Amino acid sequence: MAIPARAAIGIDTTRAFAPLALVFVAFVALPLVALGWRAVDSGELAGNVTSELVLDAMRLSAITSTIALVIAVLFGTPLAYLLARRDFPGKVVIDVLVDLPLVLPPTVAGVALLVAFGRRGVLGGELDALGIELAFTTTAVVLAQVFVSAPYYIRTVKAGFESVSPQYEGVAATLGAGPLRVFWRIVLPLAWPSVLAGAILCWARALSELGATLVFAGNFPERTQTMPLAIIGVFDSGSSVDVAIALSVILVLAAAVLLVLLRLVARQAARPSL
Amino acid sequence: MLSVDFEKQLSGFHLRPSFDADEGLIVLLGPSGSGKSLTLRAIAGLLRPDAGRIELPSGVVFDSAARIDVVPQARSVGYVVQDLALFPHLTVAENIAFGLHGWPKERQRERVRELVELMSLDGLETRLPRETSGGQQQRVALARALAARPRVLLLDEPFSALDAPIRNALRREVSRLRRQLGLLALFVTHDLQEAFALADRIAVYDDGAVLQCGPRDEVFRTPATVRVAQLLDARNLFEGRVVSKTEAFTEIETPWFRAKARAEGDLAPGARAALCVRPEHVILLRRDRPHTNQLDTTLDVELIDELATGNNHRLYLKVAGAEECIIEADVSAHPYQVMGVASRREWRVALTLDQTVAIPLADA
Repeated sequence: MAIPARAAIGIDTTRAFAPLALVFVAFVALPLVALGWRAVDSGELAGNVTSELVLDAMRLSAITSTIALVIAVLFGTPLAYLLARRDFPGKVVIDVLVDLPLVLPPTVAGVALLVAFGRRGVLGGELDALGIELAFTTTAVVLAQVFVSAPYYIRTVKAGFESVSPQYEGVAATLGAGPLRVFWRIVLPLAWPSVLAGAILCWARALSELGATLVFAGNFPERTQTMPLAIIGVFDSGSSVDVAIALSVILVLAAAVLLVLLRLVARQAARPSL
Repeated sequence: MLSVDFEKQLSGFHLRPSFDADEGLIVLLGPSGSGKSLTLRAIAGLLRPDAGRIELPSGVVFDSAARIDVVPQARSVGYVVQDLALFPHLTVAENIAFGLHGWPKERQRERVRELVELMSLDGLETRLPRETSGGQQQRVALARALAARPRVLLLDEPFSALDAPIRNALRREVSRLRRQLGLLALFVTHDLQEAFALADRIAVYDDGAVLQCGPRDEVFRTPATVRVAQLLDARNLFEGRVVSKTEAFTEIETPWFRAKARAEGDLAPGARAALCVRPEHVILLRRDRPHTNQLDTTLDVELIDELATGNNHRLYLKVAGAEECIIEADVSAHPYQVMGVASRREWRVALTLDQTVAIPLADA
């Protein structure tokens, strides 16, 4: 009698696992399908998507999340490079600090931001004296998004910088290139896939930000009501669930597009580099 | 002018090389982990010594006493690292031109063309490094290092990953280039053959320090210590004592035999010394033929083992009447056949006086 090949044993195992795996896939797929089906079935998807509330929320989401991303890139890139290349006292503390928002409940982040920058917060007096009011403004929305989403960018880009051999920088220096030229011409191009991936993750997180924004910025249409907050608003005000469904469909599509982009970037990065 | 003398304490390793050279190709030879590559990094400015001084043809680049520490960008060194570190996202031409930043565009193009020609890289200009062969990548790395006309070339085991034929071709190329460009070059290797093939001078490394530095033939002919002789794979080292010294030779008594070594050095009778003669300088003789040079030491030996190493046969010869005393001799393929080495066990060897050296030993 033939001895079963290793592969055959493997196939049998995967067959045994298939039902469990399928249950999970169905569990995730069903709500999403239901969402799409209800959206189309209501016959008012087009109308809901172009309603003032939805358009305002979309506009605000697009603007705030993009600004949050720019801030994360601007301040996060140098920090990531520093963490990837230098050892200094207190590095572990900064490392943990950068990671903390990833595991913190977003509402806690919101409370913390409020305590720091709110009118009665730690910096409230100073900000007030300068005529700056942050809490419950569009700026607060951006700050909340930066707080929770920038760590995704910094994490990813730091790993990207770490994967670039310092040997390149050394050789480039002996070839006369100053630190900035080395960074622009060598390090950044080689870490580019990570920068893109980090930016996509960061933007996606900013787009879906809810808890911190709700606490620190409140839920005011046109000012602080981004798409996730608008969904809450719909349920709170008891207006048509179909508007919430329309918003949800848009967010699901945006998330799907970003994930596909992420895959493409990852495939690009997987190409052998030498 | 090149002069290196510094120290650097690293975790569990004390690097303290000291050597100098006026011109030519200097090979840093030694076991891996002995500090050769770190020395190159320090010379290139990528590792800061704790103290000391480094002088290159471009001037003093490091001097802890005078608080001089020139940045790598201004040291005028061409540095080829062991894994080459070709910029993977830049083409061959862009890699070569990287060090020409700031030159007028037209002169950059001209220089790249020159180097492409010099290194026989024609037709590869627009390829990425990964689209070229291992030997071609080596030449691109060399071209990139040479582009801005550095005063010193630093080569860190650049050929270790290549097949033997390509390696030999590239060694010849490096020799030719260095002479052609009149460059001072430092070449790191742990390969004795490579060191011998390339070196004008050799600096022998061991555990972070340079044990001996001098012209290649001098270092091979007169190792300063037993450790140097071991690192240079001298094989035949016998501890003993000086019994007499004349103008012509120093006579050494080992527990197994007496032999004559060159007279140089200041070894007085009674001093401890090691007798050293390389296998290629041990001459195999038939016992029934007289050896003409009376100053050479002749010993009756018994062939107990042999190893063919391509062109050579390494013979393991037991000194007659002495247990555990083995002399190694290299015989090339032709005499090996003519003399019928394989067919008899009884032989005699001559240790030529001119190639036998007495190395001073510390008193036990």
